[in-house]
Amino acid sequence: MISNVLTSITQRLPDAVRDRLYDAVSQLAAGGALLVIILFLSIVSPDFLTADNLFNVGSQVAYTAVMAIGVTLVIITAGIDLSVGSVAALSGVLGVMMMGNLGLPVPLGILGGTLVGAGAGLVNGLLVSVAGLNPFIATLGMLTVARGLSYIVTDAVAVFGAPDSFRLLGQGVLAGGIPIPVLIIILVALAGYVVLNRTRLGRYAYAIGSNLEAARLSGIPVRRYLTSVYVISGALAGFGGMIAASRVASGQPNFGIGLELDVIAAVVIGGASLFGGQGTILGTLIGAFLIALIRNGSVLLDVNTYYQQIIIGVVIWLAVYWDQFRRKRLAAETE
Amino acid sequence: MSKQIVAILLSAILALAAAACAEVRESGGGGGAQGEGGGKQGPVELAVVPKAVGFDFWEQVRIGAQCAADKSEGQVDISWDGVTAETDVSGQVDLLTNFITQGVDGLVYAATDAKVLYDVTKNAKDNGVTVVNVDSGTKPQPEDVPVFATDNVAAARKVPDLLAKELGKEGGEVAFIPFQQGTLTNEQREQGFKEGLKDHPELKLVAEQSSQSQYNTALTVTENILTANPNLDAIFAANEPGVLGAAEAVRQAGKAGDITIVGWDGNPKEVEAVRDGLVSTLVVQNPFKMGYDGVNAAVEIIREGKTVQGGDTGVTFVNKANVDDPEVESVLDPTCEDPPL
Repeated sequence: MISNVLTSITQRLPDAVRDRLYDAVSQLAAGGALLVIILFLSIVSPDFLTADNLFNVGSQVAYTAVMAIGVTLVIITAGIDLSVGSVAALSGVLGVMMMGNLGLPVPLGILGGTLVGAGAGLVNGLLVSVAGLNPFIATLGMLTVARGLSYIVTDAVAVFGAPDSFRLLGQGVLAGGIPIPVLIIILVALAGYVVLNRTRLGRYAYAIGSNLEAARLSGIPVRRYLTSVYVISGALAGFGGMIAASRVASGQPNFGIGLELDVIAAVVIGGASLFGGQGTILGTLIGAFLIALIRNGSVLLDVNTYYQQIIIGVVIWLAVYWDQFRRKRLAAETE
Repeated sequence: MSKQIVAILLSAILALAAAACAEVRESGGGGGAQGEGGGKQGPVELAVVPKAVGFDFWEQVRIGAQCAADKSEGQVDISWDGVTAETDVSGQVDLLTNFITQGVDGLVYAATDAKVLYDVTKNAKDNGVTVVNVDSGTKPQPEDVPVFATDNVAAARKVPDLLAKELGKEGGEVAFIPFQQGTLTNEQREQGFKEGLKDHPELKLVAEQSSQSQYNTALTVTENILTANPNLDAIFAANEPGVLGAAEAVRQAGKAGDITIVGWDGNPKEVEAVRDGLVSTLVVQNPFKMGYDGVNAAVEIIREGKTVQGGDTGVTFVNKANVDDPEVESVLDPTCEDPPL
């Protein structure tokens, strides 16, 4: 019934609008899964649906969500950024050192850490757009380079010494009870939404990801825009690293090992296609919350760490399979 | 699409392995350790290899080893070298093999993997190189290779006693934060802790979540444990990042002092938490003594050719009452002038 209605609607739609519809369908799937998990957890765990726990989850998901928003842009261009976990660690330790060792005020320290991330992103972007390396390889290299650097600058020991007010970024609560990290998610998501939907950069990102050659031939300065996308991803990874550092009031050189997988999983569960051209901020947020809730729920129910990893892997399979299945049907029906 | 995810996962694992393979070289004692086989005349050349360099714990092993070398007045030269991640087993195998090839007189090392490193010990002995283990030995442990290490099982068995003393007759709910399932020290501490719990039926283990040896992860899982168990009375965290994360979560939840935390290791931040009353007791090992006794044992075997017995290097229970005692201070911040022996 519903699919008949969908069919009759989609047959009359131009391609661009149909793409939007695909996105909406993937979000529906991920959003549905999110609702199911929320319902399940509220039934089995009396502690789940409490204000304290929801605020906790909001704070715990902040750095993953912020980083995933950057990676969404990259994946829309048919690229990938594997380096975000390492870049976050490097930004975290350098940002804390700027405050602790150089005595920079907190806002400048946070900005400094974010710029370190942007710098790493710039290298990624140039390697991809100018040197012509495959994004997978370029950012894989950065994954190990940034991790090595974060061990070198710290001698592999955590760095402390940031002023106490640095804690506000990841632990602060606004008047009215809204955690600052949650506010940050909302602001970064809104900015990401505007960039993707209301700016040239966003539209070109979709165009480059859908068909690189066509984008080039239609006069889009592909190199410049591709580089910008990696810079944004690096900057948000750096900013995410500062949020994580703030949560523990220190720079941890081993922070975020394997985090890139959570981040990419969030983007993919949210309906972005690794082939490019598809993906939305809302979908990514849903994906990030889905993963955070699985982890939170697993602890509430005292599920062993190893099983948590298996659950998340299976959710990735299901999300992507369901997504492809829906897209194929929709495509078949609109043909 | 799932193929691509698998590819990403595999590549990421490869990349992590590559990142962990980097070595940091640092030479201690006298000159370089270029081989002269005999070893009975002239200074004894020893390679001292921790599980990884760059951590407080291993730095104290180095200070102890260096102290033993310094006290020999030129009779012992040590080379200090290690990989950068405790999980880099093959990197450590390569490193030790290189030292054997160089012709050092003895290896004093902490095995990153008990079974894998047994082959290296055997290879060393076949080449006439004396071996002493510190912190972690091999499986099997050859009879003539002494181990100087903490008896983790025995020390962890005492943790429930400490918790019981704090919580009184009523007992209460306890959470356990292990750090890396599958590693020997983690398993030994878990085994000791759970054996000790059997003597205290008033202590109820209500949650068990790994910190994966990461501060952030420890913070997150402890936050969630506190949510799931609003009546939690105590936490045992089995290594440094776990203790710091648990203490931070308890502090942020405004439950400082209400929840008894017993933790492992004694880095300065943990000691600060003891002073602040956030952590009740720390189980602190004696890595200095491991390095010191390990080097002396190796020299004794090489010089005098006799068998040396290894031993438990012991733990110190550090709490607010004794944290400023001179003996405790020398364990927490060991120097050659004030050795914790």
